Amino acid sequence: MNHASIISIQHMTKRFPVGKGEFTALNDINLEFGEGEFAGLVGPSGSGKTTLLNIIGSLDTPSEGTATVMGQDISTLSHKASALLRNQHIGFIFQSYNLLPVYTVFENVEFALLLQNRSASERKKAVLDALEWVGLTDKMTSKPAMLSGGEGQRVAIARAMVKRPKILLADEPSANLDAQNSHQILKTMKALNRELKTTFIFSTHDEKVMQYLDRIISLEDGKVVSDVEKAAAAL
Amino acid sequence: MISFLLKGILRDRSRSVLPIVVIAIGVFLTVLLSTWMKGIFSDAIDMNANFTTGHVKVMTKAYAENAAQRPNDLALIGVEELISTLEADYPDMEWVQRINFGGLIDVPDANGETKAQGPAFGQAVDLLSPNTKEPERMNMEKSLQQGRIPNAPGEALLSEDFAKKLHVNLNDEVLLFGSTMDGGMAFKNFKVVGTLSFGSTVLDRGAIIVDLADAQQALDMEDAAAEVLGYFGDNVYHDKKALEMTAAFNAKHADPEDEYAPTMQRLKEQGLLMSMIDMSENMRSILVSVFILMMSIVLWNTGLLGGLRRYAEFGLRLALGEEKKHIYKTMIYEAILIGIIGSIVGTALGISVAFYLQENGIDFSSLMKSSSMMMPQVYRSIVTPDAFVIGFIPGVFSMVLGTALSGIGIYKRQTAQLFKELEV
Repeated sequence: MNHASIISIQHMTKRFPVGKGEFTALNDINLEFGEGEFAGLVGPSGSGKTTLLNIIGSLDTPSEGTATVMGQDISTLSHKASALLRNQHIGFIFQSYNLLPVYTVFENVEFALLLQNRSASERKKAVLDALEWVGLTDKMTSKPAMLSGGEGQRVAIARAMVKRPKILLADEPSANLDAQNSHQILKTMKALNRELKTTFIFSTHDEKVMQYLDRIISLEDGKVVSDVEKAAAAL
Repeated sequence: MISFLLKGILRDRSRSVLPIVVIAIGVFLTVLLSTWMKGIFSDAIDMNANFTTGHVKVMTKAYAENAAQRPNDLALIGVEELISTLEADYPDMEWVQRINFGGLIDVPDANGETKAQGPAFGQAVDLLSPNTKEPERMNMEKSLQQGRIPNAPGEALLSEDFAKKLHVNLNDEVLLFGSTMDGGMAFKNFKVVGTLSFGSTVLDRGAIIVDLADAQQALDMEDAAAEVLGYFGDNVYHDKKALEMTAAFNAKHADPEDEYAPTMQRLKEQGLLMSMIDMSENMRSILVSVFILMMSIVLWNTGLLGGLRRYAEFGLRLALGEEKKHIYKTMIYEAILIGIIGSIVGTALGISVAFYLQENGIDFSSLMKSSSMMMPQVYRSIVTPDAFVIGFIPGVFSMVLGTALSGIGIYKRQTAQLFKELEV
């Protein structure tokens, strides 16, 4: 691996209580992600993709083993510390964009910075930059209801990227998009990955997404069954 | 962040309109009922003070113990000297003499034979002194239905209903049969120069009002009066001052051996006024508490519904790294903003209607024909400066309480479920 590691997962297991027993969602996972990676978790439903994203995103904690993100052990973080980690270093993109309908495009993107208590001038500059990355400067006063699906997802990308996170987690980002829009947003994300050195980790089973990934990690029944870098896969 | 929240409240009508409407209605009712009750109690207290109790009242101890019977044989004597002492001790007060008496009014025909008779409740007040404020205090000018206020000895006013019942016309002579202070028979002719309607069933039922000097002469009460009433200079009742005054006066004049020793009672101690004043003082806090409780329950439910509708928004905010505590705090800030907006709307509406009722009132005379309490028949509200702020207490507090209860759900939210919850 050529990248400096920012996510390290060692012998990590995640179990959920089911009735009187337990269900093992992730089983002895060992993974490293470096800065600027463009990687994807692929696999069928129930394979553990979202659970793994949850733990990397400090939304959940491992049952066993360790998950270290930006040098912080997820298992030992308080609620406040995990919120701060997400606030400062992690961006999220959801399948259904989840834009706040009463706010404009500009305000939706600005919201992430409000949580960081940035000054108004800083916010304005950062939001305009983010909207320029995704090509939506002309839509900044529009409300989400006036946007197409592709535009909505690009706003979501701008919102996730505006605080320049080290890690961006995207759960099925193309699931609600047609092929043309899917390619557009993936190209946008790829460009941002190159320009800002942000680590992108996708959860997907969409072939269109997979063709953009530099690294594909396949999960099955909570286990990593393959971890292939694109260059190697091409060989 | 505050301006961001304000934009959300203003743009998202479903988030703000229902709570604002609920608060505005509650605040409207609080302000209106509060001003109306204050008006009713104030009018009733003022009416009692002006007609019967004064702000303080001096009587003999024996008269005070039997005050309901109006026992003029137990009246104060040496009243001029007593009033001089009172004026010296309490220069800011105004002191007036009153005599209440019962009797029979006989109306003769042209031949001097009895045409009609009826029992009367008489009140003797100072009508003829050059600087007397008694006609003004008893609102006689406005209460006049016919004729004029007496301006010479031997003239009297009858209540309008009483005059009609006895078929008495203006300038008719009537004969008062009563008893003197010593228990002898008293007779005196009066010329009826006017009729009155005070707007109080008790007073309007069978009243005759005569000048104090005429009554003293007729009832053999020279330099005597049943009661000496004291009024504060600003004509507003001050319970604390009245309490201090009565304590000082009674300590000075207390004589356990003398049942005719003067004793002073404050307005609050007389009749049902104690409970009425206490009720007046407590009513608004009871009203505010009831509205806080009612509105909080409604707004709690509104908050729960709003919380469900904003489920995705809160989930997203948690994912973006906002702390649960911060989300809860912003909900409370929103509640304060909405509470203030709703309170402003409700107060504006409540004050508008209260002003209308202050000017016009509502006439309840038909419901009070058999009332034995001295209550006004037209109920008016009274708008005081505190009416402009009282609605904000239930308005803001109930919204914050309702939101605080419904917002607790934020703390139960599991971040591990966010991806799944936000997929839809």
